Amino acid sequence: MEILAGSLSAGLLIGMVFALVALGLTIIFGVMDIVNFAHGEFLMIGMYTALLTAHATGVDPLLTIPFAGLVGFLLGVVCYLGFVKYLIRGPMVAQLLGTFGLMLVLRNLALFLFGSEDRTIQEGILVGKSFDLGMGIIFPATKLAAAVLSVISFIAVWLLINRTRIGKALMATALNAQGARYMGIPTERMNAFAWGIGGASVTMAGALLVNFWSVTPFVGLLFTMIAFAIVALGGFGSIPGAFFAGLIVGLITELPGIWDFVAEMTGFDWMAAVPMTSFKYTWVYLAYFLIMLIRPQGLFGWKH
Amino acid sequence: MKKRFTLVLPLMLVLSLILVMQTYAVETIKIGVIYPLTGGAAAEGRELRAGAELAAEIANTRIPEIKMDMAKRAGIASMGGAKIELIFKDHEGNPTLGADLAKKLIQDDKVIGIMGCYHSAVTKTVSAVCEEMGIPMINDSSTSPALTNRGFKWFWRTTPHDITFTKDLFDFLKGLTEGKAMGVPAISKAQIKTLAAACEKTEWGSQVSETIESLSREYGFDLKKSILYAAKSPDLSSEIRSLKSVKPDIMLFASYASDAILMMKTLKAEKAHPKMIWGQDAGFEAPEFRSTLGDDVIGVLSRTVFAPQVGQVKEVSGQVNFLYRKNMGRDLSGASARAFTGVQTWVEVLEKAGSTAPAAIQKAANSIFIPGDQLIVPWKGIRFAASGSDQGQNELGSGMIGQYQKNKEGEIVMEIVYPFDVATAKLIYPLKGF
Repeated sequence: MEILAGSLSAGLLIGMVFALVALGLTIIFGVMDIVNFAHGEFLMIGMYTALLTAHATGVDPLLTIPFAGLVGFLLGVVCYLGFVKYLIRGPMVAQLLGTFGLMLVLRNLALFLFGSEDRTIQEGILVGKSFDLGMGIIFPATKLAAAVLSVISFIAVWLLINRTRIGKALMATALNAQGARYMGIPTERMNAFAWGIGGASVTMAGALLVNFWSVTPFVGLLFTMIAFAIVALGGFGSIPGAFFAGLIVGLITELPGIWDFVAEMTGFDWMAAVPMTSFKYTWVYLAYFLIMLIRPQGLFGWKH
Repeated sequence: MKKRFTLVLPLMLVLSLILVMQTYAVETIKIGVIYPLTGGAAAEGRELRAGAELAAEIANTRIPEIKMDMAKRAGIASMGGAKIELIFKDHEGNPTLGADLAKKLIQDDKVIGIMGCYHSAVTKTVSAVCEEMGIPMINDSSTSPALTNRGFKWFWRTTPHDITFTKDLFDFLKGLTEGKAMGVPAISKAQIKTLAAACEKTEWGSQVSETIESLSREYGFDLKKSILYAAKSPDLSSEIRSLKSVKPDIMLFASYASDAILMMKTLKAEKAHPKMIWGQDAGFEAPEFRSTLGDDVIGVLSRTVFAPQVGQVKEVSGQVNFLYRKNMGRDLSGASARAFTGVQTWVEVLEKAGSTAPAAIQKAANSIFIPGDQLIVPWKGIRFAASGSDQGQNELGSGMIGQYQKNKEGEIVMEIVYPFDVATAKLIYPLKGF
């Protein structure tokens, strides 16, 4: 029973972190209908920003989150104004290949600047600490902090979009950019703002993630794939969808634990011998594939 | 006719002069050394490089105080005192890159031979290039048993391989049940019977995993769970939970540096309580492992081929370790000691060959014998199997098991706990936990 409780709680916790990673991707898609392949690289930049700032200034990695958010916001805005703005005038394929190119540029730039070595944060208020709640439920402090910030971010973004004027302008831009322009909404600025918010949320996720996840210039790909699966499952553009889909994907990565539980309950030795952990992300990609096949608009999708 | 002869004669003279010069004027002998200098195993790469460089330094300079033939000569005496030059390349843990680097070293840098590559997966591709091109390769630090099962004629391995090392582990466990360990009374087998293993999934880790499986059957232990994971995996919590789920008495790992550190951190975060943790060298022995994890490593076992304590029983080890400590500020590790021994073997092979011609090197390597008293590692010596199923393997190597303990000065050191007759400290059992 402990295995099951441990795996489910760990799945939900990491799911919230995954959801935060996917938040930026869904915002950008929701407003502009553009899929940002460089999303994982934004996350990688957030991780490096937090790690290098913490090393250079000696402050706790947690305190670097606002700075990482600022870097992400500026990165998003600069990417939009300097690059994406021109891309969206072209056909869909140009947008896809364009952000794919951005991904390669950012990744190789990081490789050039930081080298291919794995880097981790070894010291911090939360690093290495965990809370044992009994029943096999153990929350590492770093993951718990990331999950809490994820929930706060989701509420903040939801409030921003549904309760503020700027949010209404964003929605208007998302629903009908031309109409919004006629109404006097500066849609260009709204698009840049969406990229800024998207960038900030993902770099903040990176700053949290680096407390328990090592960073290399290649770390982005895994998260881009996971974020895509989450956004597809939750529905492209849906913010609550991204949150719940994040939880589901988190639970999917814990399937090996559930398998171990069944193995223990049934007492089948052959089940315990199956190396399920080797395939933990395979199930996520499989789920992504199935969703695309069965329900392309996702669970909460509102844009078609 | 006469005119033509007057032209050909000086040309032939010049050509023969070049040939003569090539034979006698060898001033430096280039050896290509391919290690992981960046990437996940960069820490071990730095160790390996420092060990190899120290050996080359000792080979090229006369240091008669060191009780080692190589130190008593300056350069390769049989080749007019030719100096050894090591050309280092970084394979980043990538087998394809390793093979490309080997080709470049052979074709562009004109190296006479190759050493490396630490990662068994890279050694596999690099040795295939050497075999194809007829260039000798001495492998100092890769332990996948399969590497010497291929019948290669240009490949020799100085380090013992994982079957030897893993057998040591099971002999150690058997010895525990018989009360042979220093400071620990006999432990009943029931207390240490269940095992769980996690090995990284490249050539090396998967071979270790298979060896653990077969030996645990042979020795009557119950391997409840055996998983393979990607060494570059940034999160290992589900792997650790999976291991924990079978409540093993002993956890066994084959990990490189960054994943070994992550594994230990995750064990701590997930509050795992095995009675013993054993690492198959590599990451568990990297200097970063103990410097990063601090007191959390106390009680952790690792197979090793070198511990500074060896210096207490072997003078030459103490002397070389002193020099290494002077250069690097820390003791030799299993990685650096084996890289040192690799270069030393190259030097002795060249000394015996008296030539850089591949065939002469091959002949010398196949018949070389370096006695144990010449080596810093506690082996009986170096002699390669010239044929059979383990062709090219050093038949005289052996392993040890070390345990991280605190010494009187409060420093974390690796004490030898196996072989039992050379143990330097009492075994800590069971593991204190995190």
